[in-house]
Order: sequence, then C-alpha cells, then structure tokens
Amino acid sequence: MNWREFQSMQRVAELGDRFISYLDEGTGEPVILIHGIPVWGYLWHALTPALAKQNRVLTPDLLGFGYSDKSDCFDRSIARQAEMIDAWMGELRIERAHIVAHDIGGGVALRLATLFPHRVMHLCVMNTVCYDSWPIEAMLQFGHPETRRKLSAASAITMLKQALKQGFAKSPDDELLDSLLVPYTTEVGKLSLIRNAAALNTNLTTEITALLPKIEAPTLILWGEDDLFQLVKYGERLARDIPGAQLVRVKDARHFLMLDQPDEVAEHVSAFLKGEQVETAHAG
Amino acid sequence: MLGFGKQKQVTEYEADGESERVYHEIKQTLRVTGINLNFRTWAGYEKFFPAMWDAMRPLAETRAFETAADCVRAEAVRAADKLLRLENQSRAALGESQAYQLRAALDLYQYINPKLLVFTSAVKLALDGAQPERGGKASADVELIERGVPARMYPMEMVSSEPEEERIKELFEDIKQTLSLSSINSDYRTLALWPDYLSAGWKKLKPIVQGDEFKRASDNLRETARKLAHTLPFPVPLSRERLEELGEDADEIATTTEKFERLLPSLIINIALFSLDWKTPETLVQSPFPARPRRNAVQGGAR
Repeated sequence: MNWREFQSMQRVAELGDRFISYLDEGTGEPVILIHGIPVWGYLWHALTPALAKQNRVLTPDLLGFGYSDKSDCFDRSIARQAEMIDAWMGELRIERAHIVAHDIGGGVALRLATLFPHRVMHLCVMNTVCYDSWPIEAMLQFGHPETRRKLSAASAITMLKQALKQGFAKSPDDELLDSLLVPYTTEVGKLSLIRNAAALNTNLTTEITALLPKIEAPTLILWGEDDLFQLVKYGERLARDIPGAQLVRVKDARHFLMLDQPDEVAEHVSAFLKGEQVETAHAG
Repeated sequence: MLGFGKQKQVTEYEADGESERVYHEIKQTLRVTGINLNFRTWAGYEKFFPAMWDAMRPLAETRAFETAADCVRAEAVRAADKLLRLENQSRAALGESQAYQLRAALDLYQYINPKLLVFTSAVKLALDGAQPERGGKASADVELIERGVPARMYPMEMVSSEPEEERIKELFEDIKQTLSLSSINSDYRTLALWPDYLSAGWKKLKPIVQGDEFKRASDNLRETARKLAHTLPFPVPLSRERLEELGEDADEIATTTEKFERLLPSLIINIALFSLDWKTPETLVQSPFPARPRRNAVQGGAR
C-alpha cells in the first residue's frame, strides 16, 4: 500500500476541538498501533495486513502528526496523546484493546498501561522511549522554536531524511522516506512537527517509572538491537521492571525494526496477540 | 497578467520584526489561521505594511466590518447558486478524513475571503482619498468582535507555490493563465493538497469563470464590497501622501491593491462554487465562524 492509498482509507474522529485521522481495518479483537516521531500511521503499513487477518487494526495519527489535527497552539505531549487515545477509544466504544507502539508511541502506550490500565489487554512496545532515554539530540534541536525560521519545509525534510536513514539497518529507498515524512512537507506540517518535537518531555516517562512494576497486561518488548536512537539497554531495563515482560531482540534491525524486518516483527506480534509463546531464539 | 508588485512576498516562516508582529495581529484580529496572498504581498513593502495595518486594525475588529463581510459572502453564494454547479465527481473518491479536511479548508476560505475583499476595498478607498461616509462621525457605540482563531478552523496549509509534482505544476500554470494571475492564491494551493479533487474541479470551473455571467457576478460583488467599505464606522488614516512620506512607491502599492480588489470577487465566487458541492446555499450564506461580541469591549466613536 502506498501512502496515498493509506491516506485515502483514513477515517476521522472529532475529540473536542481536535480531530484525529485513523485507519480501521479487519475484524476481531481491537489492536491499536501507535507510531512515534517524526513519522505517522503509515509507519505500520507493512505490519497491518498480517495483523488484520486476525484483528481489528486501528492505526491513528497522533495529534499534530500525519493527517490528524495540525493546527497550532495545543498540547502534543505524550500525556495528552494518552488521554486522546483513551477518549478516542471511548468515542469508538472500544473498552479494551491490544496496544502495539513504537518510539514516543511507546511512551504513550506505557502511560496507558500504567494510568489507564483498564484500556490495555496486551502491551507490545518496540524501541520505545522510556525512563530518561529521550529526547534524542536531533529532535531536541529540531524542536527549538527558531527552527521554523531557520529551515524551510523543504530543508527540514532534507534534514529529517538524513536523520531517519540512521534508523534503518539497510539503506531505505527514497520513496519510503518520502512517504514517512509526506505530511510534513508543507509549512504547516513543518511547524506542527516542530511543535511535536518541542513537546518531547522526559519527565513524562520518568514520572511513571515507579508504576511499571504494577503493569498487569502481558507485555512483549521488541527491540531492533542495533538501534542508535534508543539503546537496547533500555529494553533490558523495561523487561526487568515490568512483571513477566519478555524482551525479544530483533537482529539486523535498528530503530525502524518493523520496516527492517517486517515479517519477523509481524510474526512475533501476531503470536503474542494470540497468546502464543513468542519465539525466543533472540530473547533477552 | 495581474502582477502583484515588484517586491518579494514575505511568507509566514520568513516574517520577523514588524512583519511578524503584524502577521500575529492579523491572525488574531481577522480570526484566521494563516496569512493570505494579499498580506504576504503587502508585507513586501516594509514601511507601508505596518502603517497600513495600524490604520486598518480599528476597522477590522468591528462588528460593522464583520457584518459587511457577511453580506459579501451571502451575495457570492447567491450568485454562485445561479451559475452551473461543479458537481465534482472526484469528491466521491476522497476518503472520510480527506473529505472532512477538505470541507474544513473550504470553510476557512469561505470565511476569510469576503473579509479580505472588504479590507482591500477599504484600503483602496483610503489610497484614492475617499473616506468612509460614516468615518469620523460615528457617535453611536461601536461593537468590537472577539479576537483569536475560532476553534476547529482548519490551518492554512498549502502546497508550495512551486510544486515539484508535475501535474500540480501544470494545474497551477493553467489556473494562473486563465485567471491572469502572476502568483497562485492560497486557496488553490490548499485545495492542491487533494490534487485529484482540485484537478477535476478546475476542469468544471474553467469554462464557468470565462463566461459573461460569472464576470457580471464578480463585478457586482466588487461594487457591493466598495459600497460596504464606504459605510464602515472609522476613517482610515492612510493616503498616498503618507506612503510617500514613508518612502514607499505609492503608485505601485495602489496598483497592487487595485489588482487584489479585482481578483478577490472571482475567488470568493469560486470557493462558493466548490462549497456548493458540499453544503446547501441556505447554510453557506451564514458565516461558518460567527463572531461573538468581545467581552467588555464596546467602545465609543471614532479613534
């Protein structure tokens, strides 16, 4: 599926004064896929078909991201995003869902699992932000308010493409990088992404550290073990702190493991959501 | 060809100092999420732009100004309703989220364009030395409207004026040539976020805008805006002499302003035509973002 097809399938939900766009495919127990920064729901396009065979797969663009509300002057923190997911689930009359999340989406998922535990059936986080593992330097710089004046939208995209390449084990083609960044090619998109980057706040994961041992949802931690942005040591620490959590290291994969090793990741997630034992050859 | 002056446009992200201050003020006062081509072009005249805004702001925040724009919008919808409908079939191919955002984008321009026309007419009147009839004589209290961007107004997102995608580039060229524009308006740049929709819509719109009925409707709308601008409550302390004192090219600014006044009525009718595919005329004659009175903000007379 290319990004235009993905976008044209997106539905919309109004949540107060904001709206979010999301994909809703398949039937079965709901699973929500939450992306990170600086991408959008299209991140999951390779994983969606496999999961939609057995589940209802819901893929939102977080507030301020992708084709969700990109107007200015509202809170885009992971705390707000978790509240938004909670409200959105209420809007769709979904009581509980499996949560699969990556990068700052993982931060959102950890907040859901600790602060809205009734919403989470299974928790799967991939190369997630946690503790004080974030924000990374590149995003800190990007989130500086002066960035809007220093970089045109086109220059910002060029810079982000260079940065994103570091997140892949194999050099990604240009079309994939363009597709992951396409919502941010306009000046409004650029500003929205700057605001999203400015909202990255390590306090919002450190404040839930004490709650991690209380997570009751079965938890799978997948980690592209060569990630340069979120080091695998954080995955190991999460696996120690969350009771019963299983850490699976994905070889030959960096930050974007679901694009580096789509089949393996799909297999692990599908098995986990079915309650099967995840293959542990690389488990930590 | 409607060239918009020799100065380079100032985009929102490039604006700093006075331009940035005025852009912020414009968005708050006109209650809009972005800065249209008029202002981006006027901002190229560094001394004129803040002087013009300071002269116009007291008018732009009045209920009288908002009501004048409401009248222009209603007339444009009634005029568009008499023209052929676009019946843009490509809207059926839009996804739910795309259609939601497109409708919100049309609401944005449906709201702001009539305000721009009344604003431009008032500037033109001032530069022509013709002050509003009531200007300086308004003894009754003048109601001010609320400030700030309305909730749920779509951000003024748009593709680049020089797009990389070939089909959008060709589309923009065709629009510019047909409408005799030197720069592509924000409206079309926003609609180009949904290129299939704009492309199909423009195919239907092109013969309509070239017809006599459309031209008459545009001329009438311009006349209406001028009349309404003439009845606004305050004088506009702006003149060619003032521009010359500021060291600006008064003739060029007057010509640029006149060109915007010529362009805007057709743009307003075009947006009404696009909008009529989505909403009834009865709905469209209403402001999509009605303004409440500003709290504790009833001020007396002219300033």
